[in-house]
Amino acid sequence: MRYLRFLLPILLVIGWEVASWVVNNPFIVPSLETVIPILLHPFSPEYTLGTGSMVENALISIQRVGLGFLVAAVVAIPIGILMGRSAFLNDFFDSTIELLRPIPPLAWVPLALAWFKIGLTSIVFIIFIGAFFPILLNTVDGVKSVKKTWLEVATTLGAKEQQIMTKVVLPGAAPTIWTGLRVGFGIAWMCVVAAEWLPGISQGLGYLILYAYNFGQTNLIIAGMVVIGVIGLLIDFVFKHVEKRWFSWRGLER
Amino acid sequence: MKYSHVCAIIGVILCAALIAGCITPTQPQGTPTPTVSPSGGDVIVTYTKGTGPMPTLLGTDQIDGYIAWQPFVEVPPMAGIGKILLYSGDLPPQGKWKDHPCCVFTANQKVIAQNPDLTNALTASMILATQYLEEHPEESAEIVADWLAGKGNFTYGEISVSSVDVLKRAFPTVKFVNDPTDKWMDSNIEFVHALRELEVLTGSLKASSDADSKTILFDTAPYNAAQSMIGAGKITTPTPVKGSVGIGYLMSDHHAALFVAIKKWEYFNDTYGIAIKPRDTAASRPDIADFIVNGEKVAEIKLISGDAGPQLMQLMATDNIQYALVGNPPAISAADKGTPVKIIMSINSEGSGVVVTEDSPANDWNSFVAWAKERSAAGKPLRIAAPGKGSIQDVMIRYSLETSGLSIKEG
Repeated sequence: MRYLRFLLPILLVIGWEVASWVVNNPFIVPSLETVIPILLHPFSPEYTLGTGSMVENALISIQRVGLGFLVAAVVAIPIGILMGRSAFLNDFFDSTIELLRPIPPLAWVPLALAWFKIGLTSIVFIIFIGAFFPILLNTVDGVKSVKKTWLEVATTLGAKEQQIMTKVVLPGAAPTIWTGLRVGFGIAWMCVVAAEWLPGISQGLGYLILYAYNFGQTNLIIAGMVVIGVIGLLIDFVFKHVEKRWFSWRGLER
Repeated sequence: MKYSHVCAIIGVILCAALIAGCITPTQPQGTPTPTVSPSGGDVIVTYTKGTGPMPTLLGTDQIDGYIAWQPFVEVPPMAGIGKILLYSGDLPPQGKWKDHPCCVFTANQKVIAQNPDLTNALTASMILATQYLEEHPEESAEIVADWLAGKGNFTYGEISVSSVDVLKRAFPTVKFVNDPTDKWMDSNIEFVHALRELEVLTGSLKASSDADSKTILFDTAPYNAAQSMIGAGKITTPTPVKGSVGIGYLMSDHHAALFVAIKKWEYFNDTYGIAIKPRDTAASRPDIADFIVNGEKVAEIKLISGDAGPQLMQLMATDNIQYALVGNPPAISAADKGTPVKIIMSINSEGSGVVVTEDSPANDWNSFVAWAKERSAAGKPLRIAAPGKGSIQDVMIRYSLETSGLSIKEG
């Protein structure tokens, strides 16, 4: 049973190769023989149409997404805590947030360019938009769902607002905030292609995919997608691991 | 409940049908003066916002052909998914599109006024690079292959082709010329007329006389200044610029002059005292460079690639870039809408082409027209992709199809 999780990916790879024989059109299903060499040479710049090696592209994307994600976390968590604690602030922000939340990051591209100009700020902004809302909403939810009894006990025992915040609210909300960060990072990572669609960029996994499209290099597109998927998986693994280790108490308390 | 669901679905379908009917494109009145009455059938033109999706659409039989700029005309034959019907200079009516204008060097009016020496020196840089690539086509093709694809291979199934070979094939189909002659200006003005007929122009160029259009569009003073500096063998050193200057370009060998100016910076520095030196001399596609005149660094240059011309003009309108290499229609549309852009000179002429699917019965324009008529009569009109509405490629293919008795539908 332990190895069951590997079965479907293996079947998918086999199915892929069979499909590439049957379809026989590299634009629809490029064969694995054209994709694998790219993945086996992550340090070689030869396979990526002059954008540098796959590793260079991946690192630059991780940097951009990491930065956008950090900014989103730094902005969203404090606002979320305030909204969770104060009904007034919650009502004040709520409608605006619900209005902005459904707008896809890609729709912000023209404004990002006009406001922040070509460069890192625009990219970070697009990723920020992606990561901000899940972090914010989970933080609000986490703070609101801290048990009333805990808060009452702390108040009865004479805790000050600051103590309630650091000793009760934050630890109580931490698991949900962490879930928000995990979801937020996932979405931020998904935004990498949208963000690297901005002009003035010459490297990054998203850029690589869009650039390969110009020349009909479907094999390179798939290699880029695989790398995006694998990195997303690894980072999510880290988030999950931390969740298990630090926040497993949530499953135990009643 | 059931009834209301059924009613809702019927309502939605009716709305969709209505909207679809309403937006079915109708021919704008007075579309390019066809010499033959268009009754021979329809051709559908599909816009793909640049060249990106074209090879994939052709390779998956969603289009029957496309018209694009180089090197994307060379992609289908090497991928085994299509063949080249003809290059743009040979489009009908015969001789009409020979030496047709294509990309132009443009600058923001403000930067021309504020730092004329900088604009003159950059213009000189482009002129010298154009001379170089006319004299060294093989080496220049390699430089472009490095810029566009790191000299790597393109892979299509079992076929793998060197980008250097592709660019060497594409290079002779582009004519690299700078001189803004009267004849060249007049043929640019023909694009103004064509864009008017497509109802793309709504601003200052909507009803301007040809003379006024020229005043709005062109400023050839930097070209003349650059030529006289080159003639005198001495480039005036511009006042150094604070901050950086952005040059926009497209991933096409049409813009080889820019790539050659940067990659051969040492040669231009030693020979003429003018160089666009990349910060990272090892990168295939540098994005930052220093502009050095007579040994003095006068500006930091950001090199910004765009998907298509309209995007670059948008970047110029928002002051993200100050100079751009673009096709003439995007520059015309931007000037029409009030972007302070001026065309300084030509970068290239010709250099586009039409490709059709591998199994197409067409081998030249006449058999292509026959094929189009046959398909239209059978109720399955040909679908041809073009980079964008009002692009050079769009204007040319429309004109050629209409003069051959076919009418255009967009879709």
